[in-house]
Amino acid sequence: MALNSLLITGLLLSVLTFFLTKINKKLGSYFTIFSTLFVLIFLFGYMNDVGTVFNLGSFGGFSLQLVSSNYGWFFSIIMVLTYFLVSFFNPYWIEKMVNPASYNMLYVFSVVSTLGIFFAKDFLTLFIFWEMVVWSSLFIIPLGKSRKASVVYYTISTIGSFSMFFAVMYLYSLFQTFDIESISQNLISSPNTAVMAYFAIIIAGLAKLGIFPFHTWLPIAHGNAPHTFSPVLSGGLVKMGAFIALLVSAIIPTSQIFSNHIRIIGVPYENYIIMVLGAISIIVGTLMAIKQEDAKRLIAYSTVANGGYILIGISLLDQVGFAGGIMHIFNHAMASAAMFLAIGAVAYRTGTTNMNELGGLIKKMPVTFAAYLIAIISIAGIPPTSGFASKWLIFQGLASKGLMFIAFATFFGSIGSFMYVFRPLATVFLGQLSPKHKDVKEVPFMMQIPMLVMSLLTIYFGVFPSEMLGFISKIQASLNIVPISVEGSKIYSFSGMWDSLVITVAFVIGFIIAALIFYTHKKAQPVDQMNTYTSGEFIYDPESYHYAKNYYAPFERLYKNHPSVEKFYDVIALRVNEFGRLVRSWFFSSNASVGVFWISVIITIAFFWGDKI
Amino acid sequence: MSYLIAFMIVFIGFLWQVSLDGIQRKVTAKIHRRVGPPWYQTFMDIFKALSKSSITHGFIYDFGVMMALGGTIATFMFLPFGNIVAFNGLDNFFVVVYLLAIGSLGMAMSASGSGNAWAGIGIMRALTQMLAYEVPFMIVVFGMIHVYGTSSLSELAHVQQMNGIFGWHIFTMPLGAIVAFISLLGMLSKVPFDTPIAPTEIASGPMVEYGGKHFGMLILQHEFATLVEVGLFVNLFLGGGNLIEYLIKYFFVYTLVTLIYAVSARFRIENVVTFFYGVPIVLSLVQAAIVIFTGLGVNV
Repeated sequence: MALNSLLITGLLLSVLTFFLTKINKKLGSYFTIFSTLFVLIFLFGYMNDVGTVFNLGSFGGFSLQLVSSNYGWFFSIIMVLTYFLVSFFNPYWIEKMVNPASYNMLYVFSVVSTLGIFFAKDFLTLFIFWEMVVWSSLFIIPLGKSRKASVVYYTISTIGSFSMFFAVMYLYSLFQTFDIESISQNLISSPNTAVMAYFAIIIAGLAKLGIFPFHTWLPIAHGNAPHTFSPVLSGGLVKMGAFIALLVSAIIPTSQIFSNHIRIIGVPYENYIIMVLGAISIIVGTLMAIKQEDAKRLIAYSTVANGGYILIGISLLDQVGFAGGIMHIFNHAMASAAMFLAIGAVAYRTGTTNMNELGGLIKKMPVTFAAYLIAIISIAGIPPTSGFASKWLIFQGLASKGLMFIAFATFFGSIGSFMYVFRPLATVFLGQLSPKHKDVKEVPFMMQIPMLVMSLLTIYFGVFPSEMLGFISKIQASLNIVPISVEGSKIYSFSGMWDSLVITVAFVIGFIIAALIFYTHKKAQPVDQMNTYTSGEFIYDPESYHYAKNYYAPFERLYKNHPSVEKFYDVIALRVNEFGRLVRSWFFSSNASVGVFWISVIITIAFFWGDKI
Repeated sequence: MSYLIAFMIVFIGFLWQVSLDGIQRKVTAKIHRRVGPPWYQTFMDIFKALSKSSITHGFIYDFGVMMALGGTIATFMFLPFGNIVAFNGLDNFFVVVYLLAIGSLGMAMSASGSGNAWAGIGIMRALTQMLAYEVPFMIVVFGMIHVYGTSSLSELAHVQQMNGIFGWHIFTMPLGAIVAFISLLGMLSKVPFDTPIAPTEIASGPMVEYGGKHFGMLILQHEFATLVEVGLFVNLFLGGGNLIEYLIKYFFVYTLVTLIYAVSARFRIENVVTFFYGVPIVLSLVQAAIVIFTGLGVNV
């Protein structure tokens, strides 16, 4: 199916979903699985298709066009795959939705609209579809816990959208075209315009990717969105920001345009500024994630930190670091979606995502636990999962350029991620099982499917990262970057190589040795959860024995009085609010005499100076 | 073939480290003016623990112990042991550091799986301490990797041998060596950085529930982790060398660690973090900056 008809069909499917859900809630939800699968299957055919142009529609002198490209395909396949897998959760949550029909419709609508962004040939198409995605997700978020969340989301998203819109219109007034390729050709000869365009457009990407100082919407929106939408928000939609970053730094070739600009440690200062923002996001995201008591907010802050990795990787624009950044998009999509799904599964059975109310669920929900475990191993970047591959490549990229301050942030975030990902593992799944959860069961098999598939993909691309890096090298070649060198399961970088297969085999051997030692010795005697050493205290109540609240209290105390950009935003919001109240009390007062006063003022002005205004 | 060499390294490493551990107990005893146990005491401890009956708190409790030992053994296979490298080219610094985390994660998981609150506190402290010591250490090595263009540990050891004894990084990059040595104390969880274990405060923390074969395996895990951690320092700062030289250097580093921990008192956990994020992190950044921007102390 041609790409433009796929897009149109997908949008029609979303309308069909709406009416099907009106007829029967369950039917409509199953139809979201079908619709996303439909898009996924047809999209797969475009894997090696590059440069075919599709016309979406024309009006006046403008036409909306799509063009197939390998980076567009890479992003869209991740997006649709995440949506498809998460949609297996929809039938079980739909009963709890306030407005199921519009939820299902917007769900399909938002994923299909993203195709328009990733395959856009011109900025106009990109902007139109960008807004479509923003608006559809805007209406889904308040279906969860909070309406205020979507206000915050929209405010920050709008800053980015306006900035991008301004830049696109300005570029149009200069070059009389929206076409991305001809704009980038024109920009090469005018680097000063390019600096402005680079920053103005990338703000939209930063806002979407949750980069400091625009990260504040993520914990609010991810934490309050419906449990079925948080995974796609974090795993999928956030990656649109990464695409914008890729668009303005690689597709518009900044390494070429900025080549004569001031360099900081061998990197043009424009790209370095963006990298510094990524580094700050890593540190802020890590420190804030460590503090959270709510599992969903914790994962949202980890998304902020991982967005920093992706941004740094992309901004490096080199052989290995860039490949790592691109690969991290996939890894983080799978891992964070799996984490959100696991927490969603827990919430489905227990009704809470607050970590200190849970505990000991491993015996009740083993599959969910396994999915969560594999996801966090990937987030923490431990072999043999795919998270290690991308982090290793990003470290190599940084080491080859010697960017030590950025590297400091990435190391900090990488080690810090052990701390925050371990917390839900210990407090939700391990530890003491509360008696009120003693009847909790594993989620239905259909809800286990996405978690299992995501875990398998994470491990598969961890053992065979070269399968994906092969494709990424094609992306690099098409963007005029030296492609990453891969040979079998070996991956080469400037400082040597590594072979994920050998590492996995060695790990398996090590594990076998340990298992042999374990199983050849005397069998252990199982004991009850409460039967543990308590220093002579008598504790009969599992809840008070479970160590979950204020988990990292001694560490949190160290940065208790940290400066916060939220407070700054709150001050601005307060001022805007005050101004609004001022306007209201002056112009829209319920007191009749105020109205009469303004009417008489206006009449007086019109009478005396009306002809001059 | 390389797997066979790996097995051999694991076996020699086990014999060496466990005997050395016994000797260190003797050294500590001399400082404390005690007699101390015989040098083979740690062997006896391990085999006694393995042969005793134990308790289990469920699947994850067992699985975590196996993952801890298995992951640490796998890590040790990749470390250059003297001039023996089992997997050529794979002795990558980042691979070693991250594989070592498998062991820590396994142990953390297992200890939390016991459901003991003391274990939970111990794990919290261990992870916090890890954030403290890893970052300065990695920055120092980051500078090294940048200037030599290799992250292979055996090659980093090799470049130091070219200028004789004064080519060792401990002399050419003294600030980095100081940071790495302090980080090594943190990695080994020895006093003054034994906060996660702290027997007098949190009843041995992660270890509180273990006995019998589980405990024996965790002692083994600790020995292999020590092999990796001290080995990293010897390879990165003392120039590695052939097997005999390597073992001698290893012995001196480990004894120095023992001398320090035999006479120190314990840090509190927040003090560990503030300590590492004070002087050592500044020193490590200064060292990395010197190496990257001036090339001073780099062997050519």
